[in-house]
Amino acid sequence: MRKKTKKESSQGSGWKNLAPRSSRKPASAAAFRKQLQTAGKLGLLSLCLATLVAGLWWFDKKIDSSVDPIEFTGLGAPVNEVIFQTDGVLSKRWFGNWFGPMRSRSLMQLDIMSIRNELEAEQQVKEVTVRREFPSTLVVEMKEKQPILVLRLRAKDNGVQDWMVAGDGSLYQGVGYPSSSLSLLPSLAIHPSLLRLNSDGEGYCKLEGIPRIAPLLNLARKDYPELYRDWRVVSYERPDQSDPGAHVLVRSGKVRSIRFAPRDYGAQMQRLKYLLRQPDFRMKSSIESVDLSHDRSVYAKI
Amino acid sequence: MSKIIGAVEIGTSQAKALVGEVGEDGSLNVVGMASRPNEGMRKGEIVDFRKAAAAVHAALEEAEKMSGTTVDSVYLAQTGAHLDGQMLRGSAFVASSDNRVAVDDLQRAESEAKRRQPETGRSYVHHVRTPIVLDEKVVEDPVGLIGKKIDVGYWSIDGDDQAIRSALHVISNYSLEVDDLILSSIASATMVAGPDLRRAGSLVIDLGAGVTDLVLYHQGYVAYTGVIPVGGDHVTGDLSMGLRILEPYAEKLKIEHGKASPDPSDDEEDVWIIGNKTIGDRSVSRKAISDVIHVRVVELFEIIRKELGSLLDANELKGGILLTGGGSQMPGIEQVAGKVLGLPVRKAGFPPGIEPELAQPENATVLGLLHYGLQDHSLPGQKKDQEQTGFLEKLAHTFGIG
Ligand SMILES: Nc1ncnc2c1ncn2[C@@H]1O[C@H](COP(=O)(O)OP(=O)(O)OP(=O)(O)O)[C@@H](O)[C@H]1O
Ligand SMILES: [Mg+2]
Repeated sequence: MRKKTKKESSQGSGWKNLAPRSSRKPASAAAFRKQLQTAGKLGLLSLCLATLVAGLWWFDKKIDSSVDPIEFTGLGAPVNEVIFQTDGVLSKRWFGNWFGPMRSRSLMQLDIMSIRNELEAEQQVKEVTVRREFPSTLVVEMKEKQPILVLRLRAKDNGVQDWMVAGDGSLYQGVGYPSSSLSLLPSLAIHPSLLRLNSDGEGYCKLEGIPRIAPLLNLARKDYPELYRDWRVVSYERPDQSDPGAHVLVRSGKVRSIRFAPRDYGAQMQRLKYLLRQPDFRMKSSIESVDLSHDRSVYAKI
Repeated sequence: MSKIIGAVEIGTSQAKALVGEVGEDGSLNVVGMASRPNEGMRKGEIVDFRKAAAAVHAALEEAEKMSGTTVDSVYLAQTGAHLDGQMLRGSAFVASSDNRVAVDDLQRAESEAKRRQPETGRSYVHHVRTPIVLDEKVVEDPVGLIGKKIDVGYWSIDGDDQAIRSALHVISNYSLEVDDLILSSIASATMVAGPDLRRAGSLVIDLGAGVTDLVLYHQGYVAYTGVIPVGGDHVTGDLSMGLRILEPYAEKLKIEHGKASPDPSDDEEDVWIIGNKTIGDRSVSRKAISDVIHVRVVELFEIIRKELGSLLDANELKGGILLTGGGSQMPGIEQVAGKVLGLPVRKAGFPPGIEPELAQPENATVLGLLHYGLQDHSLPGQKKDQEQTGFLEKLAHTFGIG
């Protein structure tokens, strides 16, 4: 031991002597979490939290199902009317095909919950309510996902396959959209690595960056249709939430590249509109780039 | 069993953290990497502890999350103008009667070399070993050879206690240990200049945001290191002043439209800056941008040329001059550097096998930390078994023995 100490003191002027003995109060939230974790408390905490959440969820579910009306009637008449309503493009015929095999059952034999769940499992469907109306009517009200972008992928047979991109980032193969309306949608360009097959291998996982682009596209479509019409390709660059360089790129006909910061789209669109009205810009048939991603300055290359 | 190691560069523009997995065969696999903008630094030194810590901790947390594991300790890069390097030499006569060199002789030469203490208020950050000389001949491993006198040299870098302490604090505050401090320039060079280049002699220049780090290799060994407190931030500052725009816009203008020297076609091209209330709508010519940049870049390389003096010798630098760090992405910078330094300059590449997303010049330092940290830099005969004794010692300590 003594020999060791001596050797150390011969290097007594090294940085190791400066190393703090004990760490002080955590200087950041991350450091605090790390300290918790090091102490093993985080595991415990998350366990408690998980139990709590699971408990709440279970409780919620219990309440939910118990709210379902309690039926007293026995076997009733078969369903002879179906009222199908949607805010989207799926037709009654589509629902008829879907529902077909169950039609012969009586209203009371139908499991309302499972109809709802199965419908909601359909890619294009966002939300469903299913009700019985006695004596023999089934009411289905549906909210559909709305595509905001189209993602064109190469299919195995070398053809192409168009996937609809909904505002929440989910990808689905659209049914019933008129091709005229699809042709108005801009395309999405993304790095292939962001596209991941989902667990059943049939579709793709949600694209995380999309919810941050969706407000821009909705705004442009509603309030700036003359600009929106010209938008061809949209991409979301460096979609990491905290990356300060994260931005949305839009390639359009006149302005070849428009760059937005992923926030406060209203102000950026206003500036874009203002800019394109300026004589310098109006006179050109094509503009190389406009960058709106800064707080106040706009960079434009004519 | 594989081992997890970490690396941190507290850079002036970005704090960067890396998590690596070392396989049983010694292969290194990067399993987590993150960087966060760092507002707590100026010129490579911490000026705001909290801000710097927040950036480093967030990067570490993210890198750990990405890797799915946690790290216990990290290699930490050091830079800043407070660092100072010098060559320390020590020698020892071979003790045994048959004149065979023993490990003990080497160690005596080593402690002789490291005997010189830095001034008060300063500590050694890094001792880099240079060739071992046995009776005036360079030898790889002298142990067992016949000879009279052993010479060893260390390129030793010392720094200001306060600056070092702050950096160490940032790490310990995140409940991690520091495995070793490694000079930023040496870490970068480990990544971008392989053994062949170092043997041929080369100079690696890491152009960072706050500082420019240099390391010069002669015959495979470090012959000089330096830190110049000028970097990309200064170029941005010049643009901001020269063109009268706020710094964030200047930074962006630099990255997107900047060139190290103007070329004739720039005359016709304008970049628009509009909607900026402080200056109103206006355009700047690309030439004006590159003119401003050019002046600063030339000045930087002139400082380097003066600092290196006669070390900048074409015969000793057959491997050439390599540029890395974020600033090396500036188009045309290698030509400007070549003209000022009078030697061939090129942008450094990465060895094959590094993932393309990681193989960016601004990651050279943090990637190099892991690689340097993994190598054995001890004297022959002094294998890296300290870890075990360290652990036992700690254990003994805990139980109050020794
Ligand atoms: N394409 C580019 N052209 C010019 N400069 C660039 C480019 N990309 C990044 N930079 C500059 O590189 C610098 C950042 O480089 P880097 O990440 O290596 O620095 P750092 O490690 O954070 O800082 P330091 O090493 O000085 O502490 C910034 O000044 C940035 O402006
Ligand atoms: Mg750096």
